[in-house]
Amino acid sequence: MSSAQSSFLARHEFLIRRLHSLTGLLPVGAYMCVHLFTNATILDSVQLFQNAIYGIHTLGDALILVEWGFIFLPLIFHAVLGMAYVSGGLPNPTAYSYGSNWRYTLQRATGIIAFLFIFWHVFHMHGWFHAEWWLENVARPLGGAMFSPYNAASTAGKAMQSTPIVPILYTIGVLACVFHFANGLWTMGITWGLWTTPQAQKRANFLSIGVGTLLGIVSLSAIAAFTQVDTKKAGEIEEHLQEKRLESGFINEKQLHHKSVDDHSTDQENSTSKGDETPKPQNGSGT
Amino acid sequence: MSNHSSTTKRKTFAVRVLRKDSPESESYWERHDVEYEPDMNIISVLQKIASKGESSSGKKIAPVAWDCNCLEEVCGACTMVVNGKTRQACSSLIDRLLEESPSEIVLSPMSKFPVVRDLVVDRKRIFHNLKKVKAWVPVDTYSDMGPGPKQSRQQQEEAYPLSECMSCGCCLEACPQYLKIEVTRKNGETDEAFEQRQKEAYDKGFIGANTISQVVLFNNNPTGQMNAKERTDAIMQEGGIQICGNAQNCVAVCPKEIPLTTSIAKAGRAATIRGLQRIFDK
Ligand code: SF4
Ligand code: SF4
Ligand code: FES
Repeated sequence: MSSAQSSFLARHEFLIRRLHSLTGLLPVGAYMCVHLFTNATILDSVQLFQNAIYGIHTLGDALILVEWGFIFLPLIFHAVLGMAYVSGGLPNPTAYSYGSNWRYTLQRATGIIAFLFIFWHVFHMHGWFHAEWWLENVARPLGGAMFSPYNAASTAGKAMQSTPIVPILYTIGVLACVFHFANGLWTMGITWGLWTTPQAQKRANFLSIGVGTLLGIVSLSAIAAFTQVDTKKAGEIEEHLQEKRLESGFINEKQLHHKSVDDHSTDQENSTSKGDETPKPQNGSGT
Repeated sequence: MSNHSSTTKRKTFAVRVLRKDSPESESYWERHDVEYEPDMNIISVLQKIASKGESSSGKKIAPVAWDCNCLEEVCGACTMVVNGKTRQACSSLIDRLLEESPSEIVLSPMSKFPVVRDLVVDRKRIFHNLKKVKAWVPVDTYSDMGPGPKQSRQQQEEAYPLSECMSCGCCLEACPQYLKIEVTRKNGETDEAFEQRQKEAYDKGFIGANTISQVVLFNNNPTGQMNAKERTDAIMQEGGIQICGNAQNCVAVCPKEIPLTTSIAKAGRAATIRGLQRIFDK
């Protein structure tokens, strides 16, 4: 009757849909929270933000595994299936304009916005691929790959300040992600059977409004802060931090080949295909 | 009753009907001017249209076809879309509708089921799904088995509202996740072959809020409980509870005010446990 592939998807539809629901929280949603709070350290200082990024990069080679295993693959799974699910619905919020029906529709709309936004955001900050020839000839000329982890605040600031449209796009994109996550928490609790009665669902709603508001404030203030960063001064602070880290052997020369968008070309001889994601922080004898 | 003074001034009011002569033909709108009388409902409007036999442009027409039975909102047969919202024609009072939209009343058949003719739709899929989940307590003997197990007061109170479902399909009509499935007969296809194809198509589509709620009803019945696993398994198949997107329109439109989203969450909980069981205690 039907092809083997479609019957596999059909037979495991329940499990796949539940995995889709789960990945929205773990790891994708949880990662987003960490990401948003890390960004918000810029509200304190350039130093704190830079140190947070150093902290993430102490994972060394494992970072790429973490990135793919816990971020990209689950995210792609959630996003691609989500797109397929959107097309299986027929939103009708104008005919039946109830609050929860609007939220159903918005959940799908924000999902699509989040999909497009994250796709662009990963390009804008990281250029999608770490291969140097790609970054050099494609990503950077197109305005991508602007972030450099060892000059975190200054490059993020430059990226945010490159055109006035950028912070607007980030605001829309990030708010869509936050809504999608907070509302997703609420629907997830119904799907899995955590809150069943209308009263319980109402209380759970306060939880998701709270989470959404908090994340909204955290992320918007971080965006505002990045648009205000004095990138020149931040760059100097970062150079200073780097010198100290080099002296103490916490990072090595090799990792610094992506210093910033402007001077990356001078460090090209150090590049590997994995570029900035392969620091070896444990000792100074990496080379 | 209270609004007689404002509405008795009306002589006629406009009714627009989405008609369809046969399952294969195209739909078309038809306008009617209906003489006003106090305390009318949609059924009496349709009766007036039938007795008049012509549209507002004076064209001779066949009566608009519709379905009804109980005339007191317990059978669900007369369900249609009135002014854009799904509801029962027999309990749709004209005085109220004219208060909401004085210019005209718009009638169309439910959009999630194949149209048989005019306002009559084929809701076979609902019954197909109720059979799929065994929405009953199986009794395999005619002999007297004595009284069934006692139900607590709380169990009764939880079960009663769910038992009021009349399979009208409002919850499905309003559900953004429940899409229409219409299988058309192929040339020379036998009844059996056609029905088989129809069943297969229904099995792929969303099972819907009402059936999920019936699973909760019968799984919580002390005797019905004996088949609880089977029913939960049935709503975890393709098109099962996982398709629900939590829009909660179902509960908002249900004329019987059945707590459908509570049922969905309870069935979701049962499915979570059943899913873990199926993975770990093979
Ligand atoms: S649950 Fe309510 S809306 Fe749905 S079929 Fe039953 S009575 Fe109709
Ligand atoms: S809660 Fe589920 S079943 Fe009810 S209308 Fe929404 S998607 Fe449909
Ligand atoms: S005729 Fe039975 S519900 Fe309307």
